[in-house]
Amino acid sequence: MSSDQDHLKETDTEARFEFKKEEKSAFQTEKGLTEETIRVISEDKDEPEWMLERRLRALEQFRQMPMPEGWPGAPDLSEVDIEQIVPYIRPDIETRGGAESWEDLPEEIKDTFDKLGIPEAEKNALSGVGAQYESEIVYQNMQERWEEKGVIFCDMDKAVQEHEDLVREHFMTKCVPPSDNKFAALHGAVWSGGSFVYIPEDTTVEMPVQAYFRMNSEGMGQFEHTLIIAEENSEVHYIEGCSAPKYSAFNLHSGGVEVFVGENAHVQYSTVQNWSKNTYNLNTKRAICEADGTMEWVSGSMGSKATMLYPSTVLKGPGATDNHITIAFAGEGQDIDTGAKVYHNAPDTKSTIESKSISKDGGRTNYRGLVHIADGAENSSTSVECDALMFDNESTSDTMPYMEIQENKVDVAHEATVGKIGDEDVFYLQSRGLDDDDAKQMIVAGFIEPITEELPIEYAVELNRLIELEMEGSLG
Amino acid sequence: MSTQVHANLTASQVEQISEDLGEPEWLLETRKDALGALDDLEMPDVIRTPGRKWTNLDALDYETLVDPLDYAQEKDRIDAEGVDVLSWSEALDQHGDRIEEHFGSVVDPQRDYLTALSTALFSAGTVVYVPEGVDAEDVKIRTTMNSRSLFNYTLVIAEDSASVTILERQTTGEDSEARSASDASGGTASEGARYYSGVVEAVAGENAYVQYGTLQNLSEESYNYQVKRAHADTYATVDWIEGNIGSRLTKSNVETRLLGDSSESKIVGAFFGHNDQHFDIASRVWHEAEHTVADLVTRGVLDDESRSVYEGVQDVGREAWDTSSYQRENTLMLSDESEADASPKLIINNHDTEASHSATVGQVDDEDMFYMTSRGVDPERAKNMLVEGFFVPVLEEVAVDELREDLDALIVERLTA
Repeated sequence: MSSDQDHLKETDTEARFEFKKEEKSAFQTEKGLTEETIRVISEDKDEPEWMLERRLRALEQFRQMPMPEGWPGAPDLSEVDIEQIVPYIRPDIETRGGAESWEDLPEEIKDTFDKLGIPEAEKNALSGVGAQYESEIVYQNMQERWEEKGVIFCDMDKAVQEHEDLVREHFMTKCVPPSDNKFAALHGAVWSGGSFVYIPEDTTVEMPVQAYFRMNSEGMGQFEHTLIIAEENSEVHYIEGCSAPKYSAFNLHSGGVEVFVGENAHVQYSTVQNWSKNTYNLNTKRAICEADGTMEWVSGSMGSKATMLYPSTVLKGPGATDNHITIAFAGEGQDIDTGAKVYHNAPDTKSTIESKSISKDGGRTNYRGLVHIADGAENSSTSVECDALMFDNESTSDTMPYMEIQENKVDVAHEATVGKIGDEDVFYLQSRGLDDDDAKQMIVAGFIEPITEELPIEYAVELNRLIELEMEGSLG
Repeated sequence: MSTQVHANLTASQVEQISEDLGEPEWLLETRKDALGALDDLEMPDVIRTPGRKWTNLDALDYETLVDPLDYAQEKDRIDAEGVDVLSWSEALDQHGDRIEEHFGSVVDPQRDYLTALSTALFSAGTVVYVPEGVDAEDVKIRTTMNSRSLFNYTLVIAEDSASVTILERQTTGEDSEARSASDASGGTASEGARYYSGVVEAVAGENAYVQYGTLQNLSEESYNYQVKRAHADTYATVDWIEGNIGSRLTKSNVETRLLGDSSESKIVGAFFGHNDQHFDIASRVWHEAEHTVADLVTRGVLDDESRSVYEGVQDVGREAWDTSSYQRENTLMLSDESEADASPKLIINNHDTEASHSATVGQVDDEDMFYMTSRGVDPERAKNMLVEGFFVPVLEEVAVDELREDLDALIVERLTA
């Protein structure tokens, strides 16, 4: 598919959305998310009946389920007014693709792109200004290279049409059912866009599969769904593409990620998220790992106003392994509540969680994790390590691990430390000629190195730059 | 479920307890307020994770357990020179004003349903008053519970530069009166079930030192709820030792607020569960001043179908500059049917902090076993030695010889039972 055709397709969809918008304005006064809205989304996507039914069921569950309340120290979600959910979707449809032109973007976003050294064309794509086809080129290349091996990489809406059986079997059935939590239910009702990745048996995709620009190219990327199916003995590294500051007119992101790791398969899922600072990031990500499979989550959480995200893995088959590497950076007004969940449901399973967080200028980070070792999960082992670095007295850093151990032949270890940035380290670097800011940046870069070394070089560089910018913003 | 209990309780019962103890009006009012608040109060917080509640306090069957006017007990109080160790009625006579000043100042009488119940109904207890500058060793309080339910309330007041070590032992004895009451009512409660509730408030003045050790060895049909909480003033040190051996269900909270600069607290816990015992143990410390130090150490062993729930909280406040805070929790599981749940929490609001926590769960080390059996120690004995050794780091923290020896003896007894 050429980029021109792609663009035409987009324009066409836009026109249809415009039409729907007029139609929807008829029930504008209705509060909350209505069945009608769901039907409009589903119809527009020309979805099969079963998907519409799933959406409607999810909507029903969303209505019945409580907000995540009563959690110790949970981020304040009072601003997330469920009754206002519809208005959140509508501006999305209206401003799909973000701003009209580069000039309309907020100064801070433009500035960030400049500082990141991103070229003009790329900036446009990242900010959602026009030209969404950039992402399709990524897909195109991917498809040409792997198509003959049977690898599928396409957007989720397309997958529903073209790979219906696979999607029907796996979509929010076993991994993230809508009943999981209120925002998973919301996601199930209004999801749109996202990626579908299928790796057949015995296939290794050597290069990372990236949905880098993908988020902005879809109108309702705020509720994107990612479904990855890695069959036996396959291997893939998927990189989620919100690694740029995301400009958005509204402020709720509720994505869903489902990963199926087949026997002896290996999936790495990397994210560097940097949502705009008015965004509530309430994602649900989960993997189910069969015997001897390996799941790896690597994530950097930079942006958003509040994040509640606990990527989780169910170690279902014997010998399955799960590794988490996370880094959270909370600046002024940010509450990054993130961690990991692992269910050891089979013998000889292993997990490691390595979490690093930095808080400054009144930001709050929290590691909230759950390790569950079921009765019968013999010879399982888990190790959790959390390190927090704090810059100032206004900031908060919490650690709240939960461990449920029902099996005695296990090895469970949790360790967490908190400390301020070392005066002596800063002094040492200063005495070697670095100024205060540079010294602190260097210390932070060293602190997060275990994360950056897991990422492909361009992401590592970008993560470092984003952190530099965060530091600069407050220190300057 | 609160209505279930409440039906049993009346203001006139509270009045009678108050009269028996010769209480002043303000204390009666505090009790009545607590009684009146029961309807609106929740059970103490328990940890919830997706789909689970770590401790089910609703298992308490008050209808048959709580008999406010029966509080048969034996109480031994051994005081040390210069310190007053008094029953409530004596204490109210001699230190009425001091008690009025401190009662409920550390533990909110209406902190939750079970604490309010204790406030309203406590009939037993002790006041320990250590005057300024007095150095008092080895105060001992032994409570033997001879009734079906017992509400114990201990107030410790250590004035500036005073020092005291207190050893409290809790056991169950004959249950004569309550058992006959239960027979009369048709005996719906599980045979021998009892409810023990203890509140300890400790006030440590400037430069004071308080060590409060508890050895809980109630019968294994007992339900046990305890709140122990201290305020530490400038340069004060409050150390808690918490040994849990008995009871069927224990929900225990041991807490220190470090309110004065350079104050310190150590919370040391040991538990050993077997059969279907359930220990829910929380250690919490709040750093609210500068240069404060806390150390939380807990070790537990679980056998059979027993279960432990551990929560440790180190909360460093905005103004707590130069804080040092450490926490370690280790659980040894001897049986595949047991369960160990843990949540060691760090809440840090001041960056000038050195804080760490760690928690481990594991089994008796295979290599250690191999080493010992290869040296001719039979496996059973080798295991027992390793378990006993596992408690050593905790036992070493216990300053009172008697408490350490008793705890060790109970551990050995359990191992060889």
